[in-house]
Amino acid sequence: MLKFDYLRPGSVKEACRLLAQHKEKAKVIAGGTDLMVQLRDEDKKLKDIAYVIDINHLKELKYIKKDGDYLRIGALTTHDEIYKSELINEAVPFLAQAVNTVGSPQIRHRGTIGGSICNASPAADPVPPLVALDAQLKLVSAKGEREVSLLSIFEKPYVTNLAPDELLVEVYFKGLPENTKTSFIKLGRRKALAIARMNIAAAITLDSEGKVVEARIAPGSVLPKPDRVRTAEELLLGKAPDQKLLEEAGRKVSEEMIKRSGIRWSTEYKKPVIEALTQRVINQALGVE
Amino acid sequence: MEKIKVNMKVNSKPVTVEVKPYARLLDVLREELGLTGTKEGCGIGECGACTVIIDGENVNSCLVLAASMEGKEITTIEGMAKDGRLHPLQDAFIRHNALQCGFCTPGLLMSAKAFLDKNQNPTREDIKVGISGNLCRCTGYEQVVDAIEEVANKND
Repeated sequence: MLKFDYLRPGSVKEACRLLAQHKEKAKVIAGGTDLMVQLRDEDKKLKDIAYVIDINHLKELKYIKKDGDYLRIGALTTHDEIYKSELINEAVPFLAQAVNTVGSPQIRHRGTIGGSICNASPAADPVPPLVALDAQLKLVSAKGEREVSLLSIFEKPYVTNLAPDELLVEVYFKGLPENTKTSFIKLGRRKALAIARMNIAAAITLDSEGKVVEARIAPGSVLPKPDRVRTAEELLLGKAPDQKLLEEAGRKVSEEMIKRSGIRWSTEYKKPVIEALTQRVINQALGVE
Repeated sequence: MEKIKVNMKVNSKPVTVEVKPYARLLDVLREELGLTGTKEGCGIGECGACTVIIDGENVNSCLVLAASMEGKEITTIEGMAKDGRLHPLQDAFIRHNALQCGFCTPGLLMSAKAFLDKNQNPTREDIKVGISGNLCRCTGYEQVVDAIEEVANKND
């Protein structure tokens, strides 16, 4: 276990002041479900840490609210709270599905949406639906506030470009258009307590004739950085989804994976599986199966 | 490194402890408070042997900093029996032979209790999800689920 001093700010403002003071020497702890493991492993990334700043008790960062067309989730909202939220289940059911696949009940009671984003694991289950939703982040520091897209913060696995004095306080996104169906699939080695081998989120909007007017497809653990797969999305536009079309969409996702990640030892497995998951997640969203 | 003074309630009793800033709740329960019923299995949140109940929710005490427990109510396996009488779940675990080596049992009982306190009429499937964060490597889960189901049905 790494050794550090424990700081407990009474407000977001005080947390920002502490971060400005200690910068790279400080690490923020929220639910601790990732950080405690890294501290115990004496992760190289944390070797300069002298302070852990605990924000988990700051109730002001625990909320889910509707704000016009937008939904706003406080960074300290737990996976379990998101899963149980009526607002989330109604507006963006695939996010509720995704957070409910994180770890175990124990992990979901402690782990937070903000922590999951900042940990930047390529296998994070809440991230694909947030990517599909084009989520934005609100960051604060002693210098002020800024908003960035979720996609823009990921540098590489487990590394973000957030400044050392910045605190993620909110993730927000626009609700989905009417007639949008969503789904999320996680593929793990077992049902609980598994890190996703791959996961995928899809949101499909149909018109009155059953043709796709909007498609969002976001796989996890497949691309070097989280992203939507535009080539697969565009393929679906204006067409009524059938098995042949979904097979083609699956191939677009695997093509994109190989284009961006290259051929790796796991490609032989991942290629057919991500193609099948793409078809399955869209079918599930549309209620086929 | 400065020790942190923490006021919390453990098994309904107010407790004040001075903890190392990097001590886990698990360490403080076992080493400072002598509550060794809470076990350390993996130490990384994957096995559930260290499960305790904090403010009504089951969590892994290996992933919680003791310093962060100010004002919290914690229940450990030692707080389950009341006035010398076993909790109905403990009783049911014994009757259903829901343990062999017993190492995972305190954690399983904590998860089962937190789960039943919140879920009145769970299905068998719900119970399985409720204890999905607790690994058992010898007994398996059938007897455990049977025991929890029996107590759940008695609550009707």
